[in-house]
Amino acid sequence: MRFTTGNKANKALGCALIAALSSTAGIAHADGKLTYFTWSGYELPEFSQSYLAAHPDSVDISVFGDDDDAFTKVKAGFHPDLAHPCYDKIARWNKEGLLQPIDTSRIKNWDKIFPTFRNLPDIKAGDGKVWMVPWDWGNTSVLYRTDLVKNPEQSWNLLWDQQYAGRMATIDAVHDTPLVAAIMAGVNPFDMSDSDLEKVAAKLREQRPLMSTYTTDMTSVEQSLASGELVAAMTWNASAVALKKQGVPVEFMKPKEGMLTWTCGYVMLKDAKNVDLAYDFINSRLEADSGKHLIEDYGYGSSTSTAFAAVPKETLESLELPSNPDEMLKTTIFTGPMKQNDELAKMFEKVKAGG
Amino acid sequence: MSFTGGHGGVSASGGRFFRAAMLLPGTFAAFVLILFSLALVLFLAFRSNDGSLLGGGATLANFAAVATDPLYVMVALRSLAIAGLVTLATVVSAWPVAYLLAFHAGRHRSLLLFLVTLPFWTSYLLRVFAWKIVLAYNGVLNSALVGTGILSEPSLAFLNTPAAVVLTLAHAYAPFAILPIFVALDSMPKSLFEAASDLGAGAFATFRRVVLPYSMPGVLSGALVVFVPTVGDFVTPSLVGGPRSVMVGSLIQAQFGKANDWPFGAALAVSVMALIIALILIVRRVDRRFGSRR
Repeated sequence: MRFTTGNKANKALGCALIAALSSTAGIAHADGKLTYFTWSGYELPEFSQSYLAAHPDSVDISVFGDDDDAFTKVKAGFHPDLAHPCYDKIARWNKEGLLQPIDTSRIKNWDKIFPTFRNLPDIKAGDGKVWMVPWDWGNTSVLYRTDLVKNPEQSWNLLWDQQYAGRMATIDAVHDTPLVAAIMAGVNPFDMSDSDLEKVAAKLREQRPLMSTYTTDMTSVEQSLASGELVAAMTWNASAVALKKQGVPVEFMKPKEGMLTWTCGYVMLKDAKNVDLAYDFINSRLEADSGKHLIEDYGYGSSTSTAFAAVPKETLESLELPSNPDEMLKTTIFTGPMKQNDELAKMFEKVKAGG
Repeated sequence: MSFTGGHGGVSASGGRFFRAAMLLPGTFAAFVLILFSLALVLFLAFRSNDGSLLGGGATLANFAAVATDPLYVMVALRSLAIAGLVTLATVVSAWPVAYLLAFHAGRHRSLLLFLVTLPFWTSYLLRVFAWKIVLAYNGVLNSALVGTGILSEPSLAFLNTPAAVVLTLAHAYAPFAILPIFVALDSMPKSLFEAASDLGAGAFATFRRVVLPYSMPGVLSGALVVFVPTVGDFVTPSLVGGPRSVMVGSLIQAQFGKANDWPFGAALAVSVMALIIALILIVRRVDRRFGSRR
């Protein structure tokens, strides 16, 4: 590009343009609205009723389908006040210097949170402070059509069964599919050597031709299970609850190797602009009523014992949700931090692409 | 872009100011939005991944990995093949539409042009999902085939296949091929038809030796406009493609997302850019040699 004329005018206009741009950037965050970055599905107003009553129209919510994607988005410069990753990612977010500690003395129902979650090692920030306030927990397992898959062996192996090739799907997230592949390959998912990693890759390669899709879009998976396009898929509890409500004959498997149990919660970003609103928001979400909605609508566990107390016993039984997570954790595998998360993620991407 | 000399009649300083003002948005976009971003990607491609935003230390390891791992070559070839099929399907289906618009649309021409652009009034994602509805297991196509007794049970062969990606992209990019071909044909003097028949050419000979060559610049620019963006597409394959149609765009996106290795993603992106530039240069060569522009 070549300029022969008009340098002064050019500069003047350039300055005006830059001034205009910087002034709009300046006002972008001054509206006093809490920004909250969460799993799609966790944005519902039922979960934060008292916050919304006290501060009408003052929360901006963005959603993600996978917290690894959320991590890179935040790292790249998207700065919400609150985010909602899962426990296995906390150390990673922390290492990147993205978080600020949350003062538990400002969290009204902190003591109502199950001790198992309160005492998780990676959330401790010392001095009565934590990096994450746990809110939800749940399971990952195989959801299958009881009419299309007759009496399967209760094992993750169903997702490797040749006779259902092309009619299964799995979750496109490192802490789900590769973790299960590691269990099936007989290696420790949370700390693996290079040769372990290769075993997991081999297991994933074996699975790839059988999968119709790798996705985090659970609505599509539920629709495909309902139509019979898929006969089995790796899902979370919420999909099982949703399909049973629709009357689709499905069962959420209890694999002999163990379901995966995970917990997620609120983290406050280092440069959060609306700290007071953020505390109000977390407090409202830890109320029994919010947790009750989480249990009844999605079949996930709430982190507080008060929420469980508010749900009728029969409902919990039909959801197969014990009112104490320790009960559940006796038979399941807790999704803790995976040391080789990045290597695993890279390898998983390669396998999905055909490598 | 270059700028030489003005027109008479406008005072020199006013003309200068006007020209500078006209160039400003383009300059701004080119330098800030395009060249700076490209330079950043190029810079990142030569960094090693230490988890920080701009990477640490200069290295060629990223390109070595791209070049030596057969996976990346395979995925790149797959992307080229899918984009090539999309381009072929788009151009072949667009040509008759453009021909009709240019010569036989009569007074309905503006209505038809409007209809061609109509799909663009909806979001791209919406169009992808519409195809999902058509191709799904219990979708429109399967229901029709089962209903008419052609199939005894719904087929899984439509969705989550490379064919679904080709179909969806060909539909999404149709106007990009129709419009340049239409413009090329529209500028063709109608007297050429008479000249051809005067010289004894039949309908097919006229088509082959007059109309088709005349449309070639439009065909080539349409093909390029369709091919280049589809090579890097990652939304459509991830929604309708299934694991067999992972394209290089998905791999690049994953490096910047889940895999958290931006330098490697940048190196992949730069490699794909180089590949596409090489292809464009070859096409231009071929175009000059075999002379569609005369």
